[in-house]
Amino acid sequence: MKREHPNLHPRLDPASAGSSSSGYSTMPSVNTNTNDDTSCKAKMWEDDAQADGGMDELLAVLGYKVRSSDMVEVAQKLEQLQEVMGHVQEDGISHLACETVHYNPSDLSTWLESMLSELNPNPNFDSVVMPAQPSIDDSFFTHPESSTITSIDFADHTHQRHQEQRKTNKHSRDVVFEDSSSSDYDLKAIPGKSVFAQPHQIDSSSSSSRDPKRLKSATTDHLYPAAAAASSSSTIGAGAAGSFGVSTESTRPVVLVDSQENGIRLVHLLMACAEAVQENNLTVAEALVKQIGFLAISQAGAMRKVATYFAEALARRIYRLYPQSPMDHSLSDILQMHFYETCPYLKFAHFTANQAILEAFEGKKRVHVIDFSMNQGMQWPALLQALALRPGGPPAFRLTGIGPPSHDNSDHLQEVGWKLAQLAETIHVEFEYRGFVANSLADLDASMLELRPSEFESVAVNSVFELHKLLARPGAIEKVLSVVKQMKPEIVTIVEQEANHNDSVFLDRFTESLHYYSTLFDSLEGSVSTQDKVMSEVYLGKQICNIVACEGPDRIERHETLTQWRTRLGSSGFVPVHLGSNAFKQASMLLALFAGGDGYRVEENNGCLMLGWHTRPLIATSAWRLANKQVVAH
Amino acid sequence: MVVPLNTWVLISNFKLAYNLLRRPDGTFNRHLAEFLDRKVPANAKPVDGIFSFDVVIDRGTSLLSRIYRLTDGEPSQPNMAELEKPVSSEVVPVIIFFHGGSFAHSSANSAIYDTLCRRLVGICKAVVVSVNYRRAPENRYPCAYDDGWTALKWVNSRTWLESKKDSKVHIYLAGDSSGGNIAHHVALRAVESGIDILGNILLNPMFAGQERTESEKRLDGKYFVTLQDRDWYWRAFLPEGADRDHPACNPFGPKGKNLKGVKFPKSLVVVAGLDLIQDWQLAYVEGLKKAGQVVKLLYLEQATIGFYLLPNNNHFHTVMDEISKFVSSNC
Repeated sequence: MKREHPNLHPRLDPASAGSSSSGYSTMPSVNTNTNDDTSCKAKMWEDDAQADGGMDELLAVLGYKVRSSDMVEVAQKLEQLQEVMGHVQEDGISHLACETVHYNPSDLSTWLESMLSELNPNPNFDSVVMPAQPSIDDSFFTHPESSTITSIDFADHTHQRHQEQRKTNKHSRDVVFEDSSSSDYDLKAIPGKSVFAQPHQIDSSSSSSRDPKRLKSATTDHLYPAAAAASSSSTIGAGAAGSFGVSTESTRPVVLVDSQENGIRLVHLLMACAEAVQENNLTVAEALVKQIGFLAISQAGAMRKVATYFAEALARRIYRLYPQSPMDHSLSDILQMHFYETCPYLKFAHFTANQAILEAFEGKKRVHVIDFSMNQGMQWPALLQALALRPGGPPAFRLTGIGPPSHDNSDHLQEVGWKLAQLAETIHVEFEYRGFVANSLADLDASMLELRPSEFESVAVNSVFELHKLLARPGAIEKVLSVVKQMKPEIVTIVEQEANHNDSVFLDRFTESLHYYSTLFDSLEGSVSTQDKVMSEVYLGKQICNIVACEGPDRIERHETLTQWRTRLGSSGFVPVHLGSNAFKQASMLLALFAGGDGYRVEENNGCLMLGWHTRPLIATSAWRLANKQVVAH
Repeated sequence: MVVPLNTWVLISNFKLAYNLLRRPDGTFNRHLAEFLDRKVPANAKPVDGIFSFDVVIDRGTSLLSRIYRLTDGEPSQPNMAELEKPVSSEVVPVIIFFHGGSFAHSSANSAIYDTLCRRLVGICKAVVVSVNYRRAPENRYPCAYDDGWTALKWVNSRTWLESKKDSKVHIYLAGDSSGGNIAHHVALRAVESGIDILGNILLNPMFAGQERTESEKRLDGKYFVTLQDRDWYWRAFLPEGADRDHPACNPFGPKGKNLKGVKFPKSLVVVAGLDLIQDWQLAYVEGLKKAGQVVKLLYLEQATIGFYLLPNNNHFHTVMDEISKFVSSNC
């Protein structure tokens, strides 16, 4: 993509009236000062911007991804929206606020574009309502006093700058759009706005992409404006996945609740003990573990429990009394059910994943969900009900549930399927079920699943807190992801713990998990039912034990962060499908039902949703599809 | 009267989003607001020598504050127990910061304010405590002030924040927009309760009155802000039925307090020349002067609201310098 580069500088462009700019962006000003230094500085800024993959660094730090080269276009869209919103009745605005689903507000350009489309449904951009005069106060941008500040220039010599652009507007004060090599506009020309809310799925980055070749390979005739399911990270620079020019190094978010004296001493002891273990100084470690045990008893609340679990895990590591693995599946199911009842994490996971699946299945007549995390099947009644209620009637629903073998030879997977079948019958949803027992997801092959042609049946793959386990064996995650690709899924929903508990350095792992589980345990403190709370703590305690006491293939709780998963999925050929403001809102409302609801927060993160306790995200839901998948019209 | 393009984009984007969130009936689309707000987590791993962590300082109201500190040149990252390690210098300014957002928007973990607070730490060599106060319209006056007061008491009682010189916490109150307004009112309460505040820093503080001033009429709708939205936010914050001469928004108005003889902290008040409420901000400065209080006015003729959110203009650097001097002049 060529940047507009030298043509932007009016000093070099004789036709323009203005001269210098000290661009912090690439736009020239109309001031009459000619200043050699500042225009050189302007070039410098521009070059800097390019070096960062073009992202405006200052905005990036504030959470907005805007390429420096797109800044003008984004400004124009903002202006246009202002103008249009000024004309539209209040209803129009409230429509934008209530009915419209918003996606990924970090991607300003696309977000603005989606709102413009909502307010201007006319797909032909020539007839888009354009202000004859820019709506901003002209004096704002002309007569700049200072030579160190740039302005937006809307005079008609603008078009000379965009020499490669096709569309120009002859009126002198009109705002010029970037041309249709920003091919989002090409797509806009295709008629037929979707009646159903279908995510706008093109294979490329958002409208800021200038690569026409790439975009032409995508076909879509659904122009639901609110979503751009694009992987912008793949065009910007995969290495910086998730970053906007901000450091990609991990952060350690901490929320302290009780800063009592004993709590701090406990943490000191735990850290000292972990350090001793790391140095293989087992005598010291042993002594410290005993001290922790004594001190923990005197502590109240979450800190006591967390300390106890971590101390036990450390002790196991020191004495090499590794926990049995795997745990009896029926026990872990029971624990998980209590966890499900006590706090919203699992419910949030199921809810948000179902939301994405529901949207992906819109208009499909036959659907197949492949669940990597079947357990007790708690996720599926809600989806079945939602499908039963959808306008036009439910699809035929097939569920493949995958789970580990049970120790008591009972076929619990079949039992779960049977219960779901009964539910499906009462709500008149055609239902088919198959349970699959596998020790590991990596044992699966697509051929085992009796997949049907994708034109006939749409597939969703669902994984809640399962994928990280595959990181315990080399090659496993790669195998599973490639099998997923063979399933040709419409959507892949993934929920994972938002933490890096897979660092190769024991002490780092210990520290991260100590912070994470402290916060998690804090969030449980408000629960009403003591029994549920205790069971949940045991459930989590098993994870702690695994992270701290185990190694090698036994250490299966290898949680990684959303940023890490994004990189992995991106390089495996998946692109994000964004979750929007509707899912966000409903998830937030769901949280209010939980005790301690005040502390639970939903956060939007580049199209994914995260649930956290106060300001610390704890789990993240993301949705994906194949990079080269064409959206099939119907 | 020019702004850098990316600043214009940033502020216009906020303006646009905010327009979507305010409903004519006075309610607020909180879910959409939280969805759109760009947030950043605290980070106990130092970035540029500064780390942060969150503390729930009042469980009852879920009042949280984000604390920013300099690493004392220590190579390793502080773990959970080391976050509240005592400050090591003779004098450490502690700035209690109240973010802006017209009482309704933003949070302590909003990216714009996290960034601003980190800058303040570096520039002032201070500890910054950013208060996540309750917002309107769900929580009206005096909730935000109450939360500010709670935070002040909490900060004042932290032994780890005491400067070595006199074993006291050296407290400054700071805020932009509604945060500036909160800083004033918390200072009032502090004075009444005998807590020493060393200084107030008010950036484009949000004040108003019942009458329409010249600047309000002249600049209405010109630079991102309209009188209509200002009115909406006051209606959302003030008690039902109150008018804009309520002392919360008009501290030197007909119902205001007389500060003559009161040991009010010295103030640094920054006014942007393109801010439509500047007449009220200037009236505030006058009010302080008339009451014999120490106040420095920094009037930036060509600045718009939000200029301090990006370090790409002279006003930003001027203000940061002034703040740095203001905070260090007590050493």
